[in-house]
Amino acid sequence: MPMASISPFLDQLWIARFVILKGLGATVSISLLAIIVGSLLGVLVGLALVYGNRILRLIVRAYTDFIRGTPVLVLVLASYYVLSTVGIELGPFQAGVLALAVFCSSHVGEIVRGGLQAIPVGQTEAAKAIGLTFGQTFAYVLWPQALRQFLPAWVNTAAEMVKASTLLSVIGVAELLLRTQEIISRNFMSLQFYFFAGLLYFVINYGIERFGKYVERKTAVPS
Amino acid sequence: MTISLRTSALSLATAFVLSAMPAAAQEAKSRLDEVLSRGHLVMGTGSTNAPWHFKSADDKLQGFDIDMGRIVAKALFGDPDKIEFVNQSSDARIPNITTDKVDLTCQFMTVTGERAQQVAFTIPYYREGVGLMLKSDGKYADYAALKAAGSSVTVSVLQNVYAESMVHAALPEATVDQYESVDLIYQALESGRADTVATDQSSLAWYMTQNSGRYKDAGYGWNPQSYACGVKRGDQDWLNFVNTALHEAMTGVEFDFYAKSYKTWFGKDLTPPQIGFPVEYK
Repeated sequence: MPMASISPFLDQLWIARFVILKGLGATVSISLLAIIVGSLLGVLVGLALVYGNRILRLIVRAYTDFIRGTPVLVLVLASYYVLSTVGIELGPFQAGVLALAVFCSSHVGEIVRGGLQAIPVGQTEAAKAIGLTFGQTFAYVLWPQALRQFLPAWVNTAAEMVKASTLLSVIGVAELLLRTQEIISRNFMSLQFYFFAGLLYFVINYGIERFGKYVERKTAVPS
Repeated sequence: MTISLRTSALSLATAFVLSAMPAAAQEAKSRLDEVLSRGHLVMGTGSTNAPWHFKSADDKLQGFDIDMGRIVAKALFGDPDKIEFVNQSSDARIPNITTDKVDLTCQFMTVTGERAQQVAFTIPYYREGVGLMLKSDGKYADYAALKAAGSSVTVSVLQNVYAESMVHAALPEATVDQYESVDLIYQALESGRADTVATDQSSLAWYMTQNSGRYKDAGYGWNPQSYACGVKRGDQDWLNFVNTALHEAMTGVEFDFYAKSYKTWFGKDLTPPQIGFPVEYK
């Protein structure tokens, strides 16, 4: 960026500061809600895939495959338009969060399933042998090990949700990208403002990555 | 089911449907009544295309499309501000009408036969054309120079199924580069990826006013098209109302409102309609 163009950009950035903050706030809250709801739902999906009976497994497997095989944009449009045709009227924000949470749940479900199934059967057998119930086995033996397995993949999924939140601009959610485009349509400083938005997305995802690393450290087996 | 049973079941069903029909017809209210009882208009539009619909520095929607909505709100409630804007992408213009998310969409929607099968168009409120913009200090002086240069000219244009044929109608041999948003087609010209921008003359006029001296019009316009608002099909009362509001803004009591908006966004003064014989029948 040439020096001459930095000063007008900073002027425009100052004018647009609240608009950018609003967009950033929307992106962070959409992503956080989608990640939290999606992860909770995903853990249930994962548990159902590993411990459910045959019928439950079949249903949840179909759900996971169907959602994972559908582009996020289609999920976003479906939750906004299709649901309203059956009488469920969701606003753009709610519909967007729902779509992302559902998408997140299918991915987290598979991650949880993989994490749990990676634990050797011997562990469960040993737990049974020392008289632990299934609940105790799960809480003290299986879950802590699985958690360590799936943290890195979970961080990736969370970062994906932040990126996917940009798709919600299609249904009119004023998140960071749409806010940035609104600013650009007024001052036409596309390169500068897209670069700045990119920087903010990086900061959010870097934050998620650091959080993941922190949890990894906390849950690591003491050596 | 025996034949007689089936017949009586059918006649019973027919009687039921027939008896229900007058009641249904009475109950089917127009969107006009719904909007009036709600107390504000819900209009679908965008927020990223100057001078049609875009945000001011203090985050307020403004532009010519926005003013068309205000004209309708004023006709409804005597107050141009009784309006709730639903922010939508261009792709959402028709779905948001057909799924009742909005009462009306005014978003530089080009009237086409194909779209008219899905939504009902109001009367047009603007006549658009495509123009070519060049850099003032660029390689090409005007339209004639662009045309003479043939295939060595690259044109940046908004993504559209008609984009290629639209550009080739003016510059048959030119290379066409399509971009997703308006700022990107300008960026392509600015960065030298394109030699000229082909887009709506209204947008070009706005951009050249904002960046005085840096760009010039190549001096050629083509591809006429009409912009109209859209409403859901099958509600003649509502369509008539919006048509009346727009029509009277262009030719009647609200002319000053329309003319002021026109001046703001296109920089031109309109000649007031003549008193006497109605303009429509000339």
